[in-house]
Amino acid sequence: MYAPVNDKAQDYPTGHEKKSPDHSLVPPCQTACPLHMDIREYVDLVAQGRIMEALQVIRTGNPFPSICAYVCTHPCEDACRRSQVDKPIAIRALKRFAVEFGGDRMVQAEAETTHQEKVAIVGSGPAGLACAYYLRRLGYQVTIFEAHSELGGMLRIGIPQYRLPREVLDTEVERLTRMGVEIRTNTRVVSLDLIFELGYRAIFITVGAHQSLRMGIEGEESPGVIDGATFLREVNLGLKPSLGKRVAVVGGGNVAIDAARTAARLGTKQVTILYRRSRAEMPASPGEVEQALEEGIEIQYLVSPTRIERGKARLTVTSVRMELGEPDARGRRQPVPIKDSEFSEEFDTLIAAVGQAPQTTSDFRVRTGKGSTIQVDPVTLTTNRAGVFAGGDAVTGPATVTEALAAGRLAASRIDDYLQHRYPLPDKAGRDRLTGDLLPETIEMVRKIGRVEPPVLPLEARAKDFVPVELVYGWEEAVNEARRCLRCGVGVEILFQDKCATCLTCLRVCPYHVPYLDAHGTIQIPADQCQACGICVAECPAKAIVLRKPFDRRHVTEELSHIIRSTAESKGKPLIVGFCCQYGLFGTGTLAGLWRGAKAGVWIVPVLCIAKVEADHILQAFEIGAEGVFVAGCGQQCARENTTDRVYQRVEKVKKVLAPIGLEPERLQAFALETTDEDPTEALDRFVEKVSSLCLASVISQEVKS
Amino acid sequence: MIVAEQKPFEEIKQMISPYGRVLILGCGTCMTVCDAGGEREVSFLHSALRLAQTKSGNGTHSFSEYTLKRQCDPEFLDLLVDKIADVDVVLSLGCGIGVQAIAERFPDLPVLPGVNTSFMGMTKESGVWDERCAACGDCRLDETAGICPITRCTKGILNGPCAGTKNGKCEANKDMDCAWILIYQRLETLHQLERMRRYYPPRNFRTIPRPKRILRQASINAGGSDD
Ligand SMILES: Cc1cc2nc3c(=O)[nH]c(=O)nc-3n(C[C@H](O)[C@H](O)[C@H](O)COP(=O)(O)OP(=O)(O)OC[C@H]3O[C@@H](n4cnc5c(N)ncnc54)[C@H](O)[C@@H]3O)c2cc1C
Ligand code: SF4
Ligand code: SF4
Ligand code: SF4
Repeated sequence: MYAPVNDKAQDYPTGHEKKSPDHSLVPPCQTACPLHMDIREYVDLVAQGRIMEALQVIRTGNPFPSICAYVCTHPCEDACRRSQVDKPIAIRALKRFAVEFGGDRMVQAEAETTHQEKVAIVGSGPAGLACAYYLRRLGYQVTIFEAHSELGGMLRIGIPQYRLPREVLDTEVERLTRMGVEIRTNTRVVSLDLIFELGYRAIFITVGAHQSLRMGIEGEESPGVIDGATFLREVNLGLKPSLGKRVAVVGGGNVAIDAARTAARLGTKQVTILYRRSRAEMPASPGEVEQALEEGIEIQYLVSPTRIERGKARLTVTSVRMELGEPDARGRRQPVPIKDSEFSEEFDTLIAAVGQAPQTTSDFRVRTGKGSTIQVDPVTLTTNRAGVFAGGDAVTGPATVTEALAAGRLAASRIDDYLQHRYPLPDKAGRDRLTGDLLPETIEMVRKIGRVEPPVLPLEARAKDFVPVELVYGWEEAVNEARRCLRCGVGVEILFQDKCATCLTCLRVCPYHVPYLDAHGTIQIPADQCQACGICVAECPAKAIVLRKPFDRRHVTEELSHIIRSTAESKGKPLIVGFCCQYGLFGTGTLAGLWRGAKAGVWIVPVLCIAKVEADHILQAFEIGAEGVFVAGCGQQCARENTTDRVYQRVEKVKKVLAPIGLEPERLQAFALETTDEDPTEALDRFVEKVSSLCLASVISQEVKS
Repeated sequence: MIVAEQKPFEEIKQMISPYGRVLILGCGTCMTVCDAGGEREVSFLHSALRLAQTKSGNGTHSFSEYTLKRQCDPEFLDLLVDKIADVDVVLSLGCGIGVQAIAERFPDLPVLPGVNTSFMGMTKESGVWDERCAACGDCRLDETAGICPITRCTKGILNGPCAGTKNGKCEANKDMDCAWILIYQRLETLHQLERMRRYYPPRNFRTIPRPKRILRQASINAGGSDD
């Protein structure tokens, strides 16, 4: 049976959606993010120029977005489906734009104490900070114990300043202090019993992984040899170790790259990285490697030091050349020394950055496992000791900031469960995940738009100093980059299968060849392929197709009723309603000035692509009293292909009935840009004038009549 | 499928003018497929009529809308019982069959046709529909390679082509394929060209009684089911 359609006269304009389930799927970027941030949503908000709202979404999912905006390793970008079309969305750079533009650092967090229990956090890296933030928000009294003089863990003593300015970190730390988190720096915790004796009911251990691994070669203890983590810590704490002219860095991870680039910034003439595999196997992020090379750092691949000799003034480092052998269990090809390939080089300093491991005080009496990591129950994060939880690098071994933040957030809720004597709630069965690749025929139809990289500091300015290398997007760059997002998983569905007449209209109109007829003769619109253009929604003669997100469905009617409310008081100029693409030009570009009644009488219904404007919507606009209606799309600038034709057809259809309705067809017009530099303002002004004169004419003719 | 075209808006406006409360009734089958009277058209017409009323003072109607899965079955029409309780007229966007089914089911309720039922046909491409069958009641498609000369030949000739064929097009309309050339070509493909040599006697459509009725009943005597 059909869901009866209400009498529109009665419940208009709230629309007639009765049930509004959200059937959108979790996109791959969100699945890949350790914090499961709603990336698609905030990228989309940036695309619409709604930066403050984007920031709100970001803040909901991430306690310290400014930090992630600088240093996150962005696994989301690796998973982004746009890479099947051209290049992934620059998600981290967009987040950075949103937090800087939206003024994230101004946001104040507040918290009240609603629980008497006190919780101790040992270590102030991202895991500890996040846990403190969330526990405090839950109303607990929280104390952070930190061995160093300042908070931040690796954020402060590991990551170099040119990648994470310390003001950013300081603001976040200050936010915690303002929330009422107690902070004890210069306090190395040696015994957990002591902490319990101080009245703490639960402890979260996040001591990180700071113990540098040894290379295991002769001469490693010589003066002039230093490990990467210690070197970076010293520099970050303000010491300026003297390195000499030639420095070797051993290793291929991010710590090695950071150490090398830091050494260069300290004035070292020649920095050489020795890595035992080839570039393809390098665990360091390719972008960082690229920047290091730009800065003049040399990388010797397939080289491994075997012996260090301390001469009078310098080190003689003997290395052997390697070749790649069979892949190991993890599929990484193992380096094998080449016989008789030893060679020696002289260096002033050698920095060994071959990995770190956690170093947990044995007095903690927590069980440790492989690589001295603390063993915890993966669900509850509890250690073998009651009331003692652990997370971050101390549990996983060296990992990433976001993973540490996620562990801290999870720990906060598990500690809350523990203190409130609740069983940890199982993860609620959320929305389904989007899996599967885009089909070739869909990919072919998606308009290719190059990724906009954020600007970087020019080379000359870099190597001297520790100023941030990566700069932030400008408004237009950010909006254009964000518009590339495919909005995976928020497309459409046939909500009312029984209404579908299997007319095949959707199959025929979809520009991306998404709907198909299955073997049973039922039409299917696979969620993993739909590009959310909305064309079929507006064309389905049975009105069986809806957008998956209830909000998107209500959008136009809500905007129209907003206009009714807003214009109720302000009579005067004739009301003109414009359906404008909120992406790009009309949302943020040349016509952005029309926003919300900025031009007397002109009101905008922002739509996410004019393909979603139905013929009925246009009539509804006239019905709320519009004297003129226009539909304005980005034409050639549209991030999608083939949108305008259908919309023009709908406009023609409405024009046909306007005359018999008693309205001049000129009161309706469609605009679309043919070229990028076209400015539609003039055409629009002409339209507004036309409508005004039509209004005037009709007023006069009515007065003549009466 | 039955193909129809929505009546011009002006005509619909005139038609409903004597009535106050109008139920705009869509049909979820053929009229949806040919885009003349599915739920989208119902709601568009609804908005347009309401707007016409406010803009040009076109009477004082009140409108409601509904779309049935099919208007040509009494059981579906039963679903209308409470919907029509306070309605003066039904503006049916069903085909002529739907309109008549409503008239039959609700003897005292006026019903108006909102579409011009045009032909039986198929979707050629998005937004294009072509006539294919005249429902003559005596199908000879086996002899004409699956192409109906009665519908597709302008003159309905049974022994074509006539002298008016030119370059495969019909003399009556240069854009229209000559049905008999199509038949010839397809017979050739099927290696059945000999069928072209045969003479097909004229058919006397007048002998076919209208309205027709088809009776299909189980033959109880034979003890079996009917299929
Ligand atoms: C040079 C370098 C660069 C990196 N770059 C990136 C990057 O770009 N992106 C990224 O995502 N990740 C990066 N990482 C990894 C990231 O910094 C770590 O994964 C993350 O900081 C781990 O957080 P954590 O809270 O578990 O521990 P840490 O950040 O290691 O913090 C642990 C804290 O505990 C304190 N502590 C230890 N023992 C005690 C004790 N007994 N009592 C009190 N306090 C104690 C330590 O002083 C330290 O402050 C980098 C790491 C390094 C070393
Ligand atoms: S295209 Fe957008 S929604 Fe899809 S994975 Fe990339 S960022 Fe996420
Ligand atoms: S357009 Fe609508 S009615 Fe037609 S097949 Fe698609 S879902 Fe079904
Ligand atoms: S919303 Fe667009 S991409 Fe998705 S199925 Fe419909 S027409 Fe195709």
